[in-house]
Amino acid sequence: MNASSNPKPSPDGPRRVDVHTSQAMKLRLARRHAADRRFRAFGIAAIAIALIALLSLFISITSRGYTAFVQTRIALDITYDAEILGIGEEANAQDLAVADYRALIRKSMQALFPDVRERRERRDLLRIVSSGAEFELRAQLLEDPSLIGQTRRVWLTADDDVDMLIKGYIDRNAPETERRLGDRQIAWIEYLEEAERIDTFFNTTFFIAGDSREPELAGIRSAATGSLLTLLVTLLLSFPIGVATAVYLEEFAPTNKLTDLIEVNINNLAAVPSIIFGLLGLAVFINFFSLPRSAPLVGGLVLTLMTLPTIIIAGRAALKSVPPSIREAALGMGASKMQTVTHHVLPLALPGMLTGAVIGMAQALGESAPLLMIGMVAFIVDVPGGFFDPSTALPVQIFLWADSPERAFLERTSAAIMVLLAFLIAMNALAIVLRQRFEKRW
Amino acid sequence: MNQEKHTFKRFDQELAALNGTVMRMGGMVEDQIAKAMISLRDADIEGARSIVARDHVVNFLDVQADEQIMNLLALRQPMGKDLRMILSLGKTVTDLERIGDEAERIARMAIDIHSTSSAPPSPRLLKDAYRMSNLATRMLHDVLDALARLDVDKAIEVACCDAELDSEFQSALRRLSTYIMEDSRNVGHAINATFIIKSLERIGDHSKNIAEYVIFLAKGKDVRHVSPESIDSQDLD
Amino acid sequence: MTTALSFEKIAMEEEPPMTVEPPSIHLPRPLPEDCETIGEATVDNPRMTTRDVSVYYGDKMGISRVSLDIGADQVLAMIGPSGCGKSTFLRCLNRMNDTVDICRVEGSIELDGRDIHDPSLDVVQLRARVGMVFQKPNPFPKSIYDNVAYGPKIHGLVGNRHETDEIVQRSLEKAGLWNEVRDRLNQPGTGLSGGQQQRLCIARAISISPEVILMDEPCSALDPIATTRIEELIDELRENYTIVIVTHSMQQAARVSQRTAYFHLGKLIEVGETNQIFTNPRHKLTEDYITGRFG
Repeated sequence: MNASSNPKPSPDGPRRVDVHTSQAMKLRLARRHAADRRFRAFGIAAIAIALIALLSLFISITSRGYTAFVQTRIALDITYDAEILGIGEEANAQDLAVADYRALIRKSMQALFPDVRERRERRDLLRIVSSGAEFELRAQLLEDPSLIGQTRRVWLTADDDVDMLIKGYIDRNAPETERRLGDRQIAWIEYLEEAERIDTFFNTTFFIAGDSREPELAGIRSAATGSLLTLLVTLLLSFPIGVATAVYLEEFAPTNKLTDLIEVNINNLAAVPSIIFGLLGLAVFINFFSLPRSAPLVGGLVLTLMTLPTIIIAGRAALKSVPPSIREAALGMGASKMQTVTHHVLPLALPGMLTGAVIGMAQALGESAPLLMIGMVAFIVDVPGGFFDPSTALPVQIFLWADSPERAFLERTSAAIMVLLAFLIAMNALAIVLRQRFEKRW
Repeated sequence: MNQEKHTFKRFDQELAALNGTVMRMGGMVEDQIAKAMISLRDADIEGARSIVARDHVVNFLDVQADEQIMNLLALRQPMGKDLRMILSLGKTVTDLERIGDEAERIARMAIDIHSTSSAPPSPRLLKDAYRMSNLATRMLHDVLDALARLDVDKAIEVACCDAELDSEFQSALRRLSTYIMEDSRNVGHAINATFIIKSLERIGDHSKNIAEYVIFLAKGKDVRHVSPESIDSQDLD
Repeated sequence: MTTALSFEKIAMEEEPPMTVEPPSIHLPRPLPEDCETIGEATVDNPRMTTRDVSVYYGDKMGISRVSLDIGADQVLAMIGPSGCGKSTFLRCLNRMNDTVDICRVEGSIELDGRDIHDPSLDVVQLRARVGMVFQKPNPFPKSIYDNVAYGPKIHGLVGNRHETDEIVQRSLEKAGLWNEVRDRLNQPGTGLSGGQQQRLCIARAISISPEVILMDEPCSALDPIATTRIEELIDELRENYTIVIVTHSMQQAARVSQRTAYFHLGKLIEVGETNQIFTNPRHKLTEDYITGRFG
């Protein structure tokens, strides 16, 4: 029934009964619904694009980096001959530490490939084992000196080029000049493969070693420890200061020009590029206060400056979200201002503040620019033992490795990124857990 | 009656409806009394009968007004002046209903007097009744007028008039007793006449009551059980 | 019952030992000569007196020259259209306006003959003596027990757990909530129904034995049944406490109060016995407001 073609005369004047049922209205309604659907579709498309971008990032990093978690090793029959090691029968730990373990490897290789006689060939042959392999032997012997005189099959770390070949990053059919391994070396490796003397193992070195020029010996431990120490300093300084500032500004400070100015400046600080904080740290902490360069303490101080605005802003937002009725209730009971804040407002605002702090920490964890300025970009092999030891941080380590020419550092860069992302996700998860756990509803 | 409107307009309409009912009732009883006295004077038995028959209309209006009042109280929760108005009108209708009853009684007396086989009463017997009826009707008319216009001065005047009517009643009673002593044949008619003047006196009392309600309504002061002469409209503010 | 701690005892302890003026001695203070308020703004036995109280929010005037006595052990209702200043005036009485930075209060407000703005009178002590119940039920997000025990604890009115238990039970009994919550004192106060929450807030307010209880539209968020229970409670509490209630409901003011004050645009227009205000108000504005002719 078409209502618009037969308008009913309405008893009460100009009002038409059919305005909401007419054909024109149906068309308008359809257009409105179409607009709704379009808007929804745009939203879904935006989310999809973001997800695809994120996914491709994860996939590309993971696909490049996952191989860094395994390491190629070569099995050699090592005879711990005291004569070859150049030590006497009654060797003490001092002697064992300085013994010539490279000779052991050389001997074992010669036994495996008796045909290789030429000096240059021998050097090439020895090069398929990592230069760090001798330290592995030393570690074994220091642990168990009774091994002297015995013969053992030992899995030694292979050179990074061998590693790359085994993992398939080096094309065996490419012309010899275009690859880092010579034809002879490939032939030896293939021989070892057939003898089942080459295999891949979980790469513990990556997690327990410091940085190294040799990719197969490089690890993230010193960088991770540096990051941890730096973050510890940052957390210990920025959380109390940030919370105290937020509480004072939000609960106690009178509203006047001065507090307005402070508020504006805090908001501005949050937007200052982080490298500026690095420059500030360099000028103030290192040049003026003469604190050591590359130290986690200085890094922590600089990152504190950087995260403070975030924590203060998050803290104030958390305090603002506490309903004023709670404050009124406490004040109306005769609680003092201080009691109101500590008994009622802070407990309610704390989950939000903690979340803000964790987010700020995550931000600090991922920061590299200010650390570059204060010298945390140095090549650090040793794991830092304190707040004054030279150290580096995870993002800086990633930056350093990304800069290195060796093919094997590429996968280690990606692996380090994965570790960093894991830390970040863990911290964000912690923030969510804290919020869920402590948040009170009223 | 009220210069300013309520925010909630239906309240105004309902108050106006109640007011209308009371005013119709007032007009009706005024008419009833006048017609009753005319039927008495003209010996119009048919007219008197119709007056008796019409009393149920007054009663119906009384019931209707009570219903309106109950609804207003329950649904609108009147306060202040509105509350006083509703209470006053509620009492007014009771008094009007009684006045209606008195009119009916006068009509019945008219029928009684004129339908008996004995000789018609001497005009002297009823002379006082006519005079009193003029006064009572005027009081009723004035008080309804005062109610319609919330005229406190007029209401005080009516309240004062009641004393005049009362003294008229007393002297009329004395005169009637002398007529009875003159001629004992007058007794039957004299008794009827006594009832009539008593009714008229009652109408004056009811009018006075209404006048007091008007004062309460307009000024918020309860002036019942106060001598009307001592009421000064200036004191009430 | 030697260990039982009665409310009266607490009330006595709360007073400073050397009270200069016992409440009954001080004389009623005269109203300012140009007071425009109609009706009896003074009472014979005032608990609180205010004279010429004006409140400014920055340059804006909140209330202007209000002079009003609050009689002991009775309920004073304050009515008036929105923004008329009745809540502002209420919040002056326990200096809750202090928490608003731009707010300035002039004039004198006395509690038992002592100026509440006197520097020697601590605002914390004032608020313990003049308690407050707010428009929206606002129990702390803690257990029912802790809600009631909080006040006595911070004021040091209780020494041990036993005394606290006693006071919590008494307060909840007075607020008519004890039988409903006795088995779940450890459950959060926010889990109660709206009416129960408001009674919990009243229990919390009376737990520290105030002399005056201020109520700012205490039933505006409640259903009629809960409202009736609160009103009944107010009527019971009247015997021991002076109550000032701000309400938007004229019927409520009529039901619970003995005196009613009408505010209009920051001025106290009329004050008087509740039955007089609601049957025969003297000021035209009051009349218009209570009969629904406002605006």
